[in-house]
Amino acid sequence: MSNEPFFQIILPMKDRLFRLAYGIVRDREEAEDILQDMLLKMWSRKEDWKDIGNLEAYCFRAIKNMALDRLATMAIRQTDPIEREREDFYFVDNQSPHREMVMKEQSLLIEKCLYELPENQQLSFRLREIEGMSYREIADTLAISEDLVKISLFRARKKMKELLAGYDS
Amino acid sequence: MTAKDDKYIGTLLERYWDCETTLAEEQELRDFFSRDDLPATWQPYAPLFNYTREEQSVSLSEGFDDRLRAAMEKEKETNRGKKYITIRIFAPLLRVAASLLLIVGLGISIFFITRKNNNPWFVETYGDPNVAIKDATYALEMVSDALKTSEEASLETIRVIDDLDIDWSALDSLVTEDITADSLEAAAQGEETPNNGKFIPEDSKKVKNI
Repeated sequence: MSNEPFFQIILPMKDRLFRLAYGIVRDREEAEDILQDMLLKMWSRKEDWKDIGNLEAYCFRAIKNMALDRLATMAIRQTDPIEREREDFYFVDNQSPHREMVMKEQSLLIEKCLYELPENQQLSFRLREIEGMSYREIADTLAISEDLVKISLFRARKKMKELLAGYDS
Repeated sequence: MTAKDDKYIGTLLERYWDCETTLAEEQELRDFFSRDDLPATWQPYAPLFNYTREEQSVSLSEGFDDRLRAAMEKEKETNRGKKYITIRIFAPLLRVAASLLLIVGLGISIFFITRKNNNPWFVETYGDPNVAIKDATYALEMVSDALKTSEEASLETIRVIDDLDIDWSALDSLVTEDITADSLEAAAQGEETPNNGKFIPEDSKKVKNI
């Protein structure tokens, strides 16, 4: 069995896979750890590659599930990374431009809002907005129907719109 | 920024909220909102597109590839080693072995179950038939003796009662008189007590209660 699919399909996706894991666990080290575990698992199961129809969607699904599992086990620490970032924001250097501070604050607000969304909405939003996936690809990754992806994305965007409108006023 | 552009972005954004935009159009929006000279009317929505752009730039740390390679090498070594090698060689045979085990197990259990059903209720415990018949005769004689003793005891009792010379007819008439007197009294009470012989219908009882 050749290793080609691993180096030509799976490995080039590593940054996108990492971003998805990072989006879920919000911890760089944990996300890298999850990605490494997942790549090793794929590597050691090369005889199964030919049975997997859509290797790309399979990898995204795998990393999603692994990240969610990890999130469940580190549930207590879950808020840590965000807290740390928030700390950065509070103790932001007085010299840094005002605009940057405002942007950081806004990003945090959006992230918080995103976190409060149900799993499907949150992941649909991430995969669409950040990874630029088509509805079909998202549906394959999340193992849900395309219609449900559209509905989830619609609700997530609606929530964001409400947040931004509220923030403005 | 012309009014036409403004209108275009407006419709694009509207379609974006309704999930009708294509990926290219969404990128267009992202590019538009990242402009430094973003008009004030569009400012409120900028954070969302800034956030997604920021998140898009997140990437793996530099040492990741090296660490992955090292981990892959390690994995290869352990795989080459003894780990699960027996299982891998016999993997195709495992299925056969499992089904054989199942069949043998079923066979054995069926064998035992049917054999158990054929078992006689009484199991031969004597080697010599003469000893057996002797023991059996002894046991039966014991039973016979016991029966005989009890029979004699019963006959003795009857005899004693006969000797007492009781007037059975007198006793019998005494018992019947008592019974008739009791039953008559009970019957008389049953008629009188509940509502003094008057009939009250169920419904009117209920009304009274209310």
